[in-house]
Amino acid sequence: MTEVKPTGRRIGVYICHCGGNISDYVDVEAVRDALKDEPDVVISDDPMFACSDGTQHDMIDNIQQDHLDGLVVASCSPKLHQVTFRNVAKRAGMNPFAYTQVNIREQDSWAHTHDRAGATAKAIGLIRAGVAKTRLSDPLEPLIVQTQSRTLVVGGGVTGLRTAIGLADVGIEALLIEREADFGGWVAKLGATFPNDASGAEEIADLLAQCRARRDITMYTGAELTGKSGSFGNYAAEITLHRADGDKTLTVDVGSIIVATGFDSYMPTDGEYEYGTEGVMTLPDFKALVDSSQGSLTYQGRPVRSVAYIYCVGSRQESGGNEYCSKYCCNAAIHTSTLVDRLHPAVRQFHLYRDIRAYARNELSYNASREGGSTYIKFPDETPPVVEQAANGGLQVNVTDLLTQGMELTIPVDMVVLVTGMVPRDNTALTELLKLPLGSDGFYNEIHPKLRPVETVVDGVMIAGCCQSPRTVGESVSAGLSAVAQSAALLRKGFAELDPLVARVDADKCLHDGACLTACPYNAITTIDWESKQIASVDPAVCKGCGGCVPYCPNGAIDLLGYTDAQMTAAIDELIASEEVMA
Amino acid sequence: MIDTDVECAPGQLVESTGGDADNTHYDVLVVGSGIGGMESSIKLADMGYKVLLVEKEASVGGRMILLSKVFPTLDCASCISGPKMSSTINHPNITTMTLSEVAGIERDGDGFIATVDQKPKFVDWAACTGCDVCQKVCTVAVPDQFNADLAARRAAYIAFPQAVPKKAVLERAGTSPCIGACPAGIKAHGYVSLVRAGKDEEAFQLVLDATPLVGTLGRACYAPCEADCTRAKLEGPIPIRLLKRYAADQHYATVGSPDGPVVRVSPPNGKKIAVVGSGPAGLTAAWQLARRGYAVTILEKRDKPGGYLRYAIPSYRLPNEVVDADIANLTSLGVEIVCNTAVDDPAGLTGQGYDAVIVATGTQKATLMDVPGEDADGSMVGLDLLAQVAGGNAPDFTGRRVVVVGGGNVAMDVARVSRRLGAAEVKVAYRRTKDEMPAHQVEAADAAAEGVAFEFLVAPAGVVAQDGHVVGLRVQTMQLGEPDASGRRSPQPVPGAQHVIDADLVISAVGLAVDPAPFAGLADNRGRISVDPKTLQTSIPHLFAAGDVTVGATDITQAVGSGRRAAHMVHRWLKGQSLDGFTALDDRLETISSDAVLARQKAFGHRLPIRGEVTLASQPSDFTEVEAPLTPQDAKAGAGSCLDCGVCSECQECFNNCPAWAIRMDQKGETKKFSVGAVVVATGHKLFAADLKPEYGFGQFPNVITGMQMDRLLAPTRPFNAVLRPGDAKMPERIAYVSCTGSRDKTVGNPLCSKFCCMYSLKQNQLIMGALPLADVTMHYIDIRAAGKRYEEFYTQGKDMGAQYIKGRVAEITQQDNGDLTLRYEDIDNGGAIAESSYDLVVLAVGIRPNRDVEKLFKDVTLSQDEYFYVAEPSAELSPGATTIPGVFVAGTAAGAKDIVDTILHAGAAVAQVAAHLHHHFTQEVTA
Repeated sequence: MTEVKPTGRRIGVYICHCGGNISDYVDVEAVRDALKDEPDVVISDDPMFACSDGTQHDMIDNIQQDHLDGLVVASCSPKLHQVTFRNVAKRAGMNPFAYTQVNIREQDSWAHTHDRAGATAKAIGLIRAGVAKTRLSDPLEPLIVQTQSRTLVVGGGVTGLRTAIGLADVGIEALLIEREADFGGWVAKLGATFPNDASGAEEIADLLAQCRARRDITMYTGAELTGKSGSFGNYAAEITLHRADGDKTLTVDVGSIIVATGFDSYMPTDGEYEYGTEGVMTLPDFKALVDSSQGSLTYQGRPVRSVAYIYCVGSRQESGGNEYCSKYCCNAAIHTSTLVDRLHPAVRQFHLYRDIRAYARNELSYNASREGGSTYIKFPDETPPVVEQAANGGLQVNVTDLLTQGMELTIPVDMVVLVTGMVPRDNTALTELLKLPLGSDGFYNEIHPKLRPVETVVDGVMIAGCCQSPRTVGESVSAGLSAVAQSAALLRKGFAELDPLVARVDADKCLHDGACLTACPYNAITTIDWESKQIASVDPAVCKGCGGCVPYCPNGAIDLLGYTDAQMTAAIDELIASEEVMA
Repeated sequence: MIDTDVECAPGQLVESTGGDADNTHYDVLVVGSGIGGMESSIKLADMGYKVLLVEKEASVGGRMILLSKVFPTLDCASCISGPKMSSTINHPNITTMTLSEVAGIERDGDGFIATVDQKPKFVDWAACTGCDVCQKVCTVAVPDQFNADLAARRAAYIAFPQAVPKKAVLERAGTSPCIGACPAGIKAHGYVSLVRAGKDEEAFQLVLDATPLVGTLGRACYAPCEADCTRAKLEGPIPIRLLKRYAADQHYATVGSPDGPVVRVSPPNGKKIAVVGSGPAGLTAAWQLARRGYAVTILEKRDKPGGYLRYAIPSYRLPNEVVDADIANLTSLGVEIVCNTAVDDPAGLTGQGYDAVIVATGTQKATLMDVPGEDADGSMVGLDLLAQVAGGNAPDFTGRRVVVVGGGNVAMDVARVSRRLGAAEVKVAYRRTKDEMPAHQVEAADAAAEGVAFEFLVAPAGVVAQDGHVVGLRVQTMQLGEPDASGRRSPQPVPGAQHVIDADLVISAVGLAVDPAPFAGLADNRGRISVDPKTLQTSIPHLFAAGDVTVGATDITQAVGSGRRAAHMVHRWLKGQSLDGFTALDDRLETISSDAVLARQKAFGHRLPIRGEVTLASQPSDFTEVEAPLTPQDAKAGAGSCLDCGVCSECQECFNNCPAWAIRMDQKGETKKFSVGAVVVATGHKLFAADLKPEYGFGQFPNVITGMQMDRLLAPTRPFNAVLRPGDAKMPERIAYVSCTGSRDKTVGNPLCSKFCCMYSLKQNQLIMGALPLADVTMHYIDIRAAGKRYEEFYTQGKDMGAQYIKGRVAEITQQDNGDLTLRYEDIDNGGAIAESSYDLVVLAVGIRPNRDVEKLFKDVTLSQDEYFYVAEPSAELSPGATTIPGVFVAGTAAGAKDIVDTILHAGAAVAQVAAHLHHHFTQEVTA
C-alpha cells in the first residue's frame, strides 16, 4: 500500500467513550493516539459523550479556531447521531457533508466484547477509513424541494380517523382511505370500552361525523394504496377504489403518508383450549355477546351463570410462536368482566392468568373486578389450564392455582373465554409497496422508539397505532397525533431539504450506454439531450442515493455524491492496510 | 401580529401569537424540561413556533439523563437524552429559562399571561465557562439530588457532568443564623467551613476581609453567632469564636515566613483619610479604607493604639501581643498611627489635607457613682485601674479588701484584675440580681471561679472614709419593682435599709459615656455624635463617625460593624456615589430559621460539642491567658459538626478562585411576564419516598436502596465507579428487587400501578448481571408487567440470562449484624410458604407519585386533577394530552404513570393539539 500523502485538509477526529459502551471494550485512548499522527488529522480527542452539549460546543470551537474542514466522529450508528453531528458542523460554519460518522459501537465494541485488542485495532482501521473518505469529501448543498401540504392516511380505524382530524386541525389536508366498506375498524364494533366505559361505536360515529364535516378531509372506503412514486414531500400516491362497477384509480400528490392499518385478532387454532366447541369463544366474540346482552347474559338462549377467562391466548408464547405480550388484552378482559358483573352480578367469573398486566390506572379496573366478585387464579407458565367437556355435557377447566398453594382445581363453567391477543395484519402488498420494515414480531418497525418513534426508514412514511405493536385506543391515538406533529414539522415550511447524496452523471464521460436506466429501481434516471448527444440524467429529488447504478456504468460516468469511487477506494485501502498491520 | 422574520408568499398562512421583538411573546410556554417537555419543545419549534421552556433545575433534561440505560433497547440514556438536551438549548426557536419557576398563569383572551420567577444563580452565566473550579474549591458538601443522595455535591455546583447548559450555580437557602447574628457581618459559617476543609489561612483571610481584629475577636467577642447556632438546639453550638482564634493563631504563627500569607489591596488612589481613635471601630474603618487604596492616618490620644482592647480588656482575656498582631495588619499596609495626639476639631482636619474624617472615639468617660465620699483615697474608677494595669503601672492590692460597684463586663474585669493584684477579698456590689446583670454570664461565672464574691440588690449610698481613707461602702438595700425601659425590673430602695460593706478600696464600674467635647456642636442630648444611622454621616458631609461614639457603649463586634459601615460610606461618598449598598449588613439574604434547617436534615450524626478549655485559679496570680486554644483535631471536629444552615457558607472560595470572575453573590432573582398562546404542562412526577414503607427499612438499613439509586450506581457517571453497596462498599453478590414499593398499595394511599418499575427492574437485572457477572439477581414480584413493544421479549432475555423471579409480596426486611438483609416473603410458586432469604443488597422498585407543584401553576382558571392528583385528561382516549383548560395541554407523567416511550408519544399528541389550538385561534393570512 502506498503511503497516504497529506492533502492540506484539516480534519478533526473525535472518538467517543459512550460512557463505557465503547471504552469498556476498546482502548479509546490508544485509538486517539493512533489517529493523532494520521496525515491531515489536526485534532484527535476522546470525549466521554461526543453527543453531549458540552462536547458539541468543544467541537464547534475546534472547528472555528483550528479552521477544520473535515469532521469524523467515531461513535454509534449513523442512524442515531449522523444528523446530530452534521448539525454541529453546520453550526460551526463547516459544510455538513464533510462529516463522516464511523460506527465503532454496534459494529465494533458491542460485537467484540471479549477481544479488547482486536476491537481496538478494528476501531483504528474503521476510523482511518473514515478519515480517508473525509479527506476526499466535496462540499455539498442540500436539495430544496417544494412540499405538498397534504397527507395520506392509510386505514380508517380509530387511529386513522383521529389522525385525519388532527392533520386538518393543523392546516394539513388529509386524505383518508379504508380498505373495508366501512370506517371504524375494531372500535366501531365495541360497546363500552375501557378505561372509561365510552361506547366505541359512538366514538367512531362522532369522529366520522367530524371528518365528514371537514372540507379539508377527503375519505374513501373500499380504497387501497396501490402505487407510490416521487419522493418525500412530493409523493404521487396511486389509490385504487374498489367499486361495484370495477376498480377505479386516482393519483393524489401527498407530502407524507401515515400508515394506521391496525391489527388482526388472534384466532385460536382448532382445538386450542377446545376452541370450536360450543361455549368456547374468543374475547372479541364474547365482548360482542356482552355488548348485545340486555338485562342478563345469555348464550344461545340459555343464561350464562359462570365464565372462565383464559389469558394470554396467542400471546407470550414459546419461542417460534407469538412471543410478545399483546398489552391490551388483560385490561380488555378485566373491563369486560366488570360489564358482566354490572349486567348480572350473580355470574361467577374466573380469570386464569399468568401475570395481570393492568398497568398504570388500569389497576383500578382490576380492583373493581375483584371487588365485584371475580376470582383470579394464577396458573404456572409451564402448565396452562385444560378445557374439557364435563360429564354432564357442560364445560370444565382444570387448572393449577398457585395462589392456593398449587391446588388442582376443576371449575365447571358455562363459557370459556379465550383472551386472545393481537397479531399483525396481513398487508403484504402495502408492506412491499412502501418498503416498510417489519420487526421479528411481524409488526411495523419505527426507526427508534425514543428518537423517532413514528418515523420509518422511508422518509415521509410514518406508522401509528396497532400496526406498530399492540396497544390501547389512547396509545394508538397518541401515536397518530405524534405522526401529525411530525408531518406538520416536515410540511408546514412548504419546502424540504433533502440530502444531496445522490448519483451524478459526468456528461463528458457518459456514452449513453443505457445500463443505468434499467439498474435504477426508482426510475430516477432519464435520457436527455446535451450538447448534441444523448446522455443519462439523474433526477436528484427521486434518486435515493442507493448507488445501484454506479457499478453498471461501463464508462465510470456515474458517481455517488458523498460516496464517490475515489472516497470509497481510499477508505477500502485504509481498511486493507489496517488488516495487514493486524496480521 | 405577523412575525416579519418569516418569509412567506402572499396567501400563505402563518401563525403567530405575537412578535418576539421584545422577547415577551411566545407561541407556547412549556413548563418542565424532562423528556416530555423537551420533546414538546423541539417538535413545536421544528414546526416554526416560538417556544419558552421553563425549568426549575439548573439544567434541562429531567430524570432521563440521570439513568443508566433505557429499556428495552438498552441504549445509554445519555446517548438519547443528551442530544435532545442539546437540540433544546440550541434550537433557534426555543428560549430556555433554567432555575426558574412559573409563578402563575392567567388567561388572556385565547392565550395566557405567564409570570416566571428567575431564581438567582449567584453566577453570571454569560461569563461562566463550566470549568467546575468553583465546585472543586467549595467547602460545603450537601446530598447530591442528581445522584439520588448516594453521594455529595458542593454548594457551588454544576448539576451533573452532562448538564445543559453546563453552568455553575450556588445553592443558597438563606443567610446562615451565625452570619445573621453577627453585628460585624463576619461570615462565621464561611470560616467554619474553611477550617473544616483544612483551609485555615483562607479562614483567617475571610475574617480579615471584615476587620483586622481577627485574633482579638477570637478571644474577646461574646459570640452571638454561637447563641444562634442551629447545633445549639442539639448537642451544643459549634465553637465558632474559638475557630476564629484558631485561624488567627495559625496565621500569626506563619506571618513573616517566606511563604507567609499576602493580603490583596487596591493600588493607592491618592485620597487621604483621617480616623480619630484607634479602638475597634477606628481600626476597622482604617483597615477597610487602606485596602481600598486610601492613605489612612489614625490619630490616637493615648500613647498606644487599640483603645479599650488594650486599656480596658485585661490581658488574661486578650493578650497585648494579640492586639499588637491585629494592629500590625494595618500598619503593614502603610496605615499611619499617630499616638499621643488628641483631636479637638475633627471636622477641621481637612485643613491638613484629609479628604474625609471618621470620628471613632468611643465612650471614654466613666460614669460616676455620684455618692458622698467618692473622692476619698482608696475610691477609684474602674476604667482608670484597667488603664493603669495595661500601661504597666499596676498597683499592689495585696491583702486589700475590694468592693467593685457595678454589674457589667467592666465590673467583672475590675474584680478579676483586683484578684490578680493580690486583693484578699473582692466583692461585686450590684443593685439588681444576678439575672439582670449586664455582664456576660461567662464573665460572671469566671469571676466567681476566681474567688470574686457578689452582693446583689445593693446600691452605693456613700463611700465611708476615715482620715480620708476608705474603710467601706455604705449601701442601700434594694428590691425589684416594675420593669424599666430596658425590660429589666428596676431596683427600688427598701426604706431605712442601709449597711456598710467593709473595704479598703471602692472601685466604681457603673457605666461608660461619650465625651462630646471634640464635636460639641454635633452632639445629641446624650452627648453622642449625631449621625444618620445608615450612612454614619454627620451634618458636615466629610465628617463621618463610627462605633460607640454614635450609640453609646456596645461591644466589639458592633463597633467593628460600624467601622466597616463608615469606611464603606466614606468610600462611596468620595466616589460621588449614593450612600447605600452596604450588603454585608443591609442586604443579606433572609436568615434561614434553625427549624427549617432541622426539618430538612435527613439524618443526624450525634456530635460531642467541642468547648474551649479555660483554666481558672481561685486565687489567680498573673495575667496569662486563661483560655487555651483549640487543638487542630478539636478545630476540625468542631467545624465538622456544622450543619451548613444556609447551604452556601459564603466562604468566598468560589469568588476568589473563579477564573472567569463569574461569581455574583449579590445577584437577585427576577420576575418576568410573558404572553403565550398555549401552555404545555410537562412537570413530570415524583418518586415514591421509600421510607413511607418502614417495614422495608429504607433510610435505616444502608444496604436497602431505591431503583433510582441503583440506576445511578449503574450509570456511566456513577458516583462510585462500580456497583457497590453503600453500607460498606462491598461488591454485592446477592441482590434482591422488591417490586411495587409504594404502588398497588392501599396502605400508602396509592392503589395505582406505576407501570415503569417492573421494566426498569428488569433492565437493571440485566445490567447488574453484566456489571457483576458473579452476582445473583432475584426479583420478588406480584405481576411482571412487561406490557409494551418488545417488553415481553426483554423479560424473557433477563430470565435467559439467569435472573430469578419469585412471585409473592415481601413482608419485611431486617438487617443482620454484617449489614446483610433478610427478606421475609411469600413464595407463591413453591406452595405459597412463608420463606426467608438473605441478600447483600436490596433494591426497592419505587413507583411514581404525582408532582403536586402543578397545582400552583394556574391562577384564575382551574387545571382539574384526577382523584390521585395527576392532571386530568377529560378525553384521554381520543384527545390524549388535552386538559380541562382550552389551550393548556399536558405531556408525560404529569398526567399519570408512563415510561419514556409513552411519554414521547404523549408529548407528540399534546404538540399536535397545541398546533391545532394555535392554528385555530391565531392564524392570520399574509397579505403581501
